[in-house]
Amino acid sequence: MSEEESPATRVAIGISFGNSYSSIAYTTEDGKAAVIANEEGDRQIPSILSYVEGEEFQGTQAKAQLVRNPKNTVAYFRDFLGQDFKSIDPTPCHQSAHPLQHDSTIAFKIQDTAEDTENIVTVSEITTRHLRRLRNSGTDYLGKAVNAAVITVPTNFSDAQKESLKKAAKDADIEVLQFIHEPVAALLAYDARPDAKIADKIVVVADLGGIRSDVAVIASRGGMYSILATAHDYDVSGTQLDQVLMDHFSKEFIKKHKSGGDPRESDRALAKLKLESEAVKKSLSIGSSANFSVESLSNGLDFTSTINRTRYELLASKIFAAFTRLVLHAVEKANLDPLDITEIILAGGSAHTPRIASSIVSSFPASTAVLAPSTSPTAINPSELAARGAAIQASLIQEFESEDIEQSTHPMVTVTPHLARAIGILCISGDESSGVFRALVEAETAVPVRRTAIVATPREGGDVLIKICEGRREIKVTKSTPKAKDKKGTVEEDDDSEDDYDSEEEEDEVREKTWKVEKVLAEAALRGLKKGAKVEVQVNVGHDLAVTCHVREVGGKGGVRGGWQAPGVANGSA
Amino acid sequence: MAAVNIALPLPVLPEGWSAEKDFKAVGELTHATDRNIEPVGPHFLAHARRKRHKRTFSEDDR
Ligand SMILES: Nc1ncnc2c1ncn2[C@@H]1O[C@H](COP(=O)(O)OP(=O)(O)OP(=O)(O)O)[C@@H](O)[C@H]1O
Ligand SMILES: [Mg+2]
Repeated sequence: MSEEESPATRVAIGISFGNSYSSIAYTTEDGKAAVIANEEGDRQIPSILSYVEGEEFQGTQAKAQLVRNPKNTVAYFRDFLGQDFKSIDPTPCHQSAHPLQHDSTIAFKIQDTAEDTENIVTVSEITTRHLRRLRNSGTDYLGKAVNAAVITVPTNFSDAQKESLKKAAKDADIEVLQFIHEPVAALLAYDARPDAKIADKIVVVADLGGIRSDVAVIASRGGMYSILATAHDYDVSGTQLDQVLMDHFSKEFIKKHKSGGDPRESDRALAKLKLESEAVKKSLSIGSSANFSVESLSNGLDFTSTINRTRYELLASKIFAAFTRLVLHAVEKANLDPLDITEIILAGGSAHTPRIASSIVSSFPASTAVLAPSTSPTAINPSELAARGAAIQASLIQEFESEDIEQSTHPMVTVTPHLARAIGILCISGDESSGVFRALVEAETAVPVRRTAIVATPREGGDVLIKICEGRREIKVTKSTPKAKDKKGTVEEDDDSEDDYDSEEEEDEVREKTWKVEKVLAEAALRGLKKGAKVEVQVNVGHDLAVTCHVREVGGKGGVRGGWQAPGVANGSA
Repeated sequence: MAAVNIALPLPVLPEGWSAEKDFKAVGELTHATDRNIEPVGPHFLAHARRKRHKRTFSEDDR
C-alpha cells in the first residue's frame, strides 16, 4: 500500500515532456521556479534516447547519434503513448527508429544492449527510460532523490494517453501528483511572478513547438483559468522552419558543387543538414545572420554558407503567416474578437522567432500585449514556461495527500457554472441606451464569485442611482471613408493577418469594444452623498446564481443591501 | 481580487424614484454555462477548499 510517497517524503519537480525537448524545474525556497540544467548543461533536453553498443545516451548526445546511428535512436515518441498504431503519424520518425505496431501498443525495434540482437522496446518503456534520466538529473541537481512530479500535457491528450504516461512515470519511480495542461502551466508561470497583478483577462497561449503547435484561449478570472477554445496544428511548427533552411542550403550546395549530389537524397547527409539547419534557425532568432557549416556534407564535400535574417524571413513567410492564422482561428473558435484578447503568451521553442511574434503583434490591436522575447523585455523564456508552471503547481500540492489532490481535481469540483454575460453598473445616465456600462464581473467568470468596485459620483454629490445590469460586449465598427465596399466588417482581421501593408487600399475602419445592456437586474439608491464621495458596489453571486449586493458610500456606514433570486426559481424569499 | 476603480460618475437619482429600503430587484441572471475550471494555481485551490467545505455544509442542512 505504500505506492505513493507520503507527503512528508516527497521531493517533487515539474516536468515538461515534449516530443522534441523536455525540461525539468523546481521551486526555490522563496517560491521562485527555476529550470534545472542536466549534466551536460542543457535546460532544453532533446527527448531522444540512443544506444551505442549497449550504452544509453539521452538528450543532446543522443541527438548527435541521428547522423551515425539513426536506427538505434528513438525520437519524437511522446504523442505515441496510449495510442493505437493506426492513429499515429510516424512521419517525424523518418530519420530515426521507426514506430511499429506491437500488440495493442507501439514499439521500436532497436539494438539497446551489448548483444548483437534487436529488441522490441515499447513506447511506454522508452518513456520510462527517458523520464528516469530526467529524474536522475533532478536528483543530481537537488541533492535529494526526486520521487514525484507534476507533468504537463497538451489540452487534447486523451485519458488513455495520460494513463499510459502515468504508468511510464511510475515505472521510473515518479509519482505523478497531477497532469496539468501545457498552456495553463505557461499562464501560471507568468501569474506566479511576484509583481504579477491578478486581473480579469482573456489570455491566448500559443505554444509553438517542434512537431506541433497548440493554441488555447483562456478566461483568466481572479487567478482561475477556464479554457474557452483550443486549436491544434501538426503541419505548422519548428520542423517546417528547419525544412525551409534545409531546402535553402541544399540548393546553395548544389549550385556550388555540381557533382556533389543533393544532400537531401542521402540519409546521412540529410541528418547532418537537419541538425545544422536547426542550429542556424536558432541563431537567427538572436543574430541578424548565421553561419551554416558542415564537414563532409555530401560526397565528402564540406560546405559552409551564410544566411541573413531577412532572407530567412522571406523564405519562411508562408509558415510565419500560418502561425498567425492558427492564433486567429483559435480566437474565432472561442467566439471572441482580437479586441477581447488582453495578452498573448508565446510559449514553446519556436516562439523565440522574432518574426512570428511581430506578425502576431500586427494582427492584433495595440491593446493586446504579446509576451515573447522579441516583443517584451519582461517575457519569460518561452522554452521554460511549461516546466516552470509545473514546478509551481508541484510546490503548491506536494504536501497534500494524494486523495485530496484527486478530490480537488475531480469534475465535481472543477465543473462549475460560468456567467454567460457580464454584470455591471450604468454610469453617467440611468437610461440603458445612453448610460455607459462598466463591468464588475466579466462574462465567463465561474461562480460563486464576489467583486467590488469603487465608483465616482456626480460633482455635487447628492442622490445617486445604482443600476445593476447584465451587459454584452459588442464590437463597434466605424468607417472613416464613405465608400463602403465590404459589408462583412467584423471578421476582416483574418485576411490581412500576413502583412498589413495592403491596408492602405482599404478604407480605414475603427473597431472598438463597447457594451450593450441586455437586462436590468436591480436598482438601488444612495442619498445625500457628500461632494466628491465615492461609492462602493459589491456584488456577490452564489453558486446557484442568486445574487446579493451591497452599496455604500466609501467611509460611510450602513448603505443599501438587496438581492435577487437564482434564474428560474419561482417565488421565494428575497 | 482588488476592487475595480470606475472613474465615470454614477447617474443622478431620477426624480420620483422610490423603492422599499431604496432597493428593488428587477430581473434575474441569464442561465450560466457549465465549464471546467483548470485545477491549477493558488486561487483554484482556494476555490476547491470553499467548494468542498460548502458541500458538507449543505449536507448538514438537509
Ligand atoms: N531560439 C530558438 N529559435 C527558434 N526556434 C527554436 C529556438 N529554440 C528552440 N527552437 C525550436 O523549437 C522547437 C521545439 O519546441 P519545444 O521546445 O517547445 O518542443 P516540444 O514541446 O517538444 O515540441 P513538440 O512536442 O511540438 O515537438 C524546435 O523546432 C526547435 O528548433
Ligand atoms: Mg510542447
